Amino acid sequence: MNRQVFRKSLMIASPLVLAMTLAACSNSNPDAAAPPVAVVPPPAPAPSPSPSPSPTPTPGPVGRNITACLNQVIPGTGGLTPASLVIPDTIKLDFSRPSGFPNGRLLPDRVVDITLAVIFLDVATPPAGSTLTAQSPGLLASIPVNPGANDVPFLAGFPYLAAPQGSPPLASGTGATFNFRTDPASRYVRVDRNGGPAVAPALIGGTLKNPYNDGNLQDDVNGTYVGGTDGIANQLTLLHNALADDLIALGLRVCST
Amino acid sequence: MKSRLKILLSGGAGVVALGALLLVPGQLALSADHLDPPGRTDPAPFGVPANPNADVGCDIADNYVWNDANTVTIIQTFGGPSALGLPAFYDRNVLQTIEVSTSAPATSSDVSIRFRFGPGANPGEHGISVENVPGVNGTIVGPVEQILTKDGVRVYAGLRDDPFFFDNQGLRLSRTTGILQFTNNAAQRPSVFFAKNITAVVIEIPRSRLGNGPIELSSTCSRIRETAS
Repeated sequence: MNRQVFRKSLMIASPLVLAMTLAACSNSNPDAAAPPVAVVPPPAPAPSPSPSPSPTPTPGPVGRNITACLNQVIPGTGGLTPASLVIPDTIKLDFSRPSGFPNGRLLPDRVVDITLAVIFLDVATPPAGSTLTAQSPGLLASIPVNPGANDVPFLAGFPYLAAPQGSPPLASGTGATFNFRTDPASRYVRVDRNGGPAVAPALIGGTLKNPYNDGNLQDDVNGTYVGGTDGIANQLTLLHNALADDLIALGLRVCST
Repeated sequence: MKSRLKILLSGGAGVVALGALLLVPGQLALSADHLDPPGRTDPAPFGVPANPNADVGCDIADNYVWNDANTVTIIQTFGGPSALGLPAFYDRNVLQTIEVSTSAPATSSDVSIRFRFGPGANPGEHGISVENVPGVNGTIVGPVEQILTKDGVRVYAGLRDDPFFFDNQGLRLSRTTGILQFTNNAAQRPSVFFAKNITAVVIEIPRSRLGNGPIELSSTCSRIRETAS
């Protein structure tokens, strides 16, 4: 059911996905076609806290229909929908509109709260004459639900990011000649890819993690990562099954039915 | 609605039941892309043995992109969140790209910026080489921790504060206590990304070189492969 729901919604969102095959799991990374070879191992990782441990499964209500969530037009974006935000997994930036997530991404943007709002809440503009109260994409960010800002201020000018904290060892910032590799891209093997915030960590399940990061934007559009237990459709449905009641209890209007 | 929500939420000192989001089946954890995919880039993934070979240095965390009237600014962070006192990742064996589609379809990259790092002649020296920047004649090469300029483009690579913020500690607390909660109260429970550093590359390009928009941006990180001996 969920697979069909998502397929239908994506067809509405973009004609490009008409050809998607949910059961397929292709890997079109050119590097993946290369013969087996040894990969130069990375240096030992620096110890750092893991911010993304897997959660403990918990049962919840079942049967939420997420179609409306995927296809609702996000006000103020020029027609973007949650489906078009995540497929393909890119950051969209329209120069004619003010920058700020989901139109591009600024450093101070409360992207998690905004993402939570657009995938869980009914953010569509109520029709004229409706008694419904509008729920803006910035509703949760306006509270905010998560910390509302970085712990140190960003710089007003280039390079914008705050200086490192603590007293880490820094490169000297000097030198004129450096020993770079010049190998073509075909001699590298993909480790990671990224686009919009939270898409891969939140909506791609365990068995699809590596294939997704080996894939490309055309795979996204083809629907390669939509179906199955770990696909986007089921992951989003599980989110709604678990959370819709909680959100409704908070006085919010959710987008799933 | 907004005021009602504030009232509802105020009872928990900023802690809300939305933390239930973090306890659904699947590997759901709302962060940016830090330590994802966990099987490759997380040295301490949850529920499985630690991975001393995790490729943290090729782990993209976040991309940022915005424009003003004259420029487009792109940021790529990777190798974090890194505990204070640790150095940046300038791995010579890694190739990172920033793919920009300036015309339909979004799946086609019209601008594929590539950057790599390499050691200098003296200890402590590291450089960055940036290729395929539109309007730049050749590559942009220079030391990290410096602002480089060439043909109207500015580049910076270096260790910076991790700019991402999110209550991921709520997930840890939920896991250990079974109590579901988010908090926006940083004093009560700071974001795990607070007081952490990360390696970053910042590129500022004249806007006209990326067309009239809209643009779509994504990124990749890959590691060199060597022929088995």
